[in-house]
Amino acid sequence: MITATNITRTFTTGDIETKVLKGITVTIDTGDFVAIMGKSGAGKSTLLYQLSILDQPSTGDLVIDGTDVLALSEKEKTAFRLNTLGFVFQDYALVPDLTARENVMVPLLMRNISWNEAKILADAALDSVGLAKKYENLPSQLSGGEQQRASIARAIAGKPKILFADEPTANLDTFSGTQVIELLGKLHAEGQTIVMVTHEPEYTHVCTRIIEMEDGLVVSDKLQ
Amino acid sequence: MRTIRIGLLLGLRQIQRANIWTNILIIFVMTLTFLNLIAVSGLLVGLIVGSERAFREQSIGDVLISAKPEERTILGTQEIVRMLETYPEIQSYTVRYIEGAQAEANYKERRDLRAERDVVNTRLRGIDPLVEDATTGLSKRIVEGSYLDPNDEGKILVGSYTLEKYASGFGDVFDTMSNVSIGDSIRVTVGDASKEFIVKGVVQSKVEDVSMGMFIPEKEFRRVFGRVDRNADQISIRMKPDVSEDVLKASLVESGIERHAKVETFAEGTPKFLTDIKNTFNLLGTFIGSIGLIVASITIFIIIFINALSRRRHIGILKAVGIERSVIELAYVTQAAFYAITGSLIGAAITYGFLVPFFDANPINFPFSDGILVVETMSTITRTLTLFVITLIAGFVPAWIIARQNTLNAILGR
Repeated sequence: MITATNITRTFTTGDIETKVLKGITVTIDTGDFVAIMGKSGAGKSTLLYQLSILDQPSTGDLVIDGTDVLALSEKEKTAFRLNTLGFVFQDYALVPDLTARENVMVPLLMRNISWNEAKILADAALDSVGLAKKYENLPSQLSGGEQQRASIARAIAGKPKILFADEPTANLDTFSGTQVIELLGKLHAEGQTIVMVTHEPEYTHVCTRIIEMEDGLVVSDKLQ
Repeated sequence: MRTIRIGLLLGLRQIQRANIWTNILIIFVMTLTFLNLIAVSGLLVGLIVGSERAFREQSIGDVLISAKPEERTILGTQEIVRMLETYPEIQSYTVRYIEGAQAEANYKERRDLRAERDVVNTRLRGIDPLVEDATTGLSKRIVEGSYLDPNDEGKILVGSYTLEKYASGFGDVFDTMSNVSIGDSIRVTVGDASKEFIVKGVVQSKVEDVSMGMFIPEKEFRRVFGRVDRNADQISIRMKPDVSEDVLKASLVESGIERHAKVETFAEGTPKFLTDIKNTFNLLGTFIGSIGLIVASITIFIIIFINALSRRRHIGILKAVGIERSVIELAYVTQAAFYAITGSLIGAAITYGFLVPFFDANPINFPFSDGILVVETMSTITRTLTLFVITLIAGFVPAWIIARQNTLNAILGR
């Protein structure tokens, strides 16, 4: 599903170069639920951004679902993310002017799905994350946990091949965090490939594989 | 289609959820911009158009027949008059006999022949009072005394600016007669012929031909000043409503009238300086309006820029989940379009629903004209479209600047 080979990422500020990823080679298979863990500054989020083509590696190769994604133009990358990948961000990242339903509908409409069909799919996705009665609520009218679930609904409504989650529980209380992790576990059980960054070991029990990072390198890669 | 649909959704929702007072403020700015663009030049042009309109209604008429340049008078005037009677599209016409004249007020009291004479140079018009009134409404300009009767003998109407008491505001710009009131005698001299007239009325208008002229019945004019051939100097024609003067002129020309006289429509007869002033004022109005347009476009730019900048992260996230840049740009252009359309509609409603009728009913009192608000439909459409396009650009540019930034940098706020 994902084959990343010798990925490096260097940031340059003035004359100072900071090498955040120092040559990562990793393969993620269909059906995996991978947790990328590590201390702050280990490079786990940076790796996620490379794998999800939100950022461009300094060097290396990246093939996702058979496509050499680093060769794509910006527009093609946007289309690739739309059709193949799903995202859950740390702080939910819902559009504040849109209702929960509209937030879920927008990427579906972008896929040329009709308004009515997008509405049905959005409602189904919101139902599946337990927000059946919150279709018309604005993000500001939802709790943090509900917003994150709405964000997951947006990510899964288009049935992406890979779901990326960047510290999805970081801003949530324990109860809400547990709900979100269980929801991700349920999605994985249904066959969803998930790559999640987290620094909280208690939320990794649903994962099938844990990649530990330290100082820009993978220091362990274990199945569980 | 997909881009438009999602762009509209995002744009309209941003407007819907925005602070109501912010929306009102932006729309207010756009309305003022519209008014500045349309009404300022409309008022400036209206000064001249008001003057033109008065000149047309009170003097020249819709079509003017006058002497050919090489002739003193309209040859075959009576033949032309008979021909005019056959045109159903003519509402009325007036035949005028005109001579340069000198009027003197104090000729009776002046004992010392070397003392200064109280004289004024004027243009004396011989008119049929009834048809002149039907054509130009001259009787409505009476401010003192009464209007002429066709059978009056020895009676004269004088223009207000020939009298000192009406023209004092103009200083020494032109000569006036002092101490002349209704019932007083003045002596009018044309060439070698002089005659005493009793002032029957004073006419006042912002049209120079009226306010600086004098009027007597045409029968007396012809008899006293020797116009026995009955060839007149001007025939001013008023058309029926909605009838083109160009059609009448073409018909008159076809009938061979130009062998005897010159025929001009009002537009052709308008002095070039008036047209030049009108164009200059229009340009000036456009210039002033353009400044407003630039201010409005900068306002929209700043508003959209701040809006887009404060939503930079959301823009990044939209791009991350697969929304194309063009959709995001369209969302902001939609907002700008909404403000431009709403502001223009309110501006148009104020202009056509209030300002135009108001200034028509209450013209601005300028010394040389009654200023009205001139709003031509084509000009309004052109300027509104200009406002719309510039606003769209002002909305697009900041959205384009923000949306083209690196997606990850936008999300991470770096």
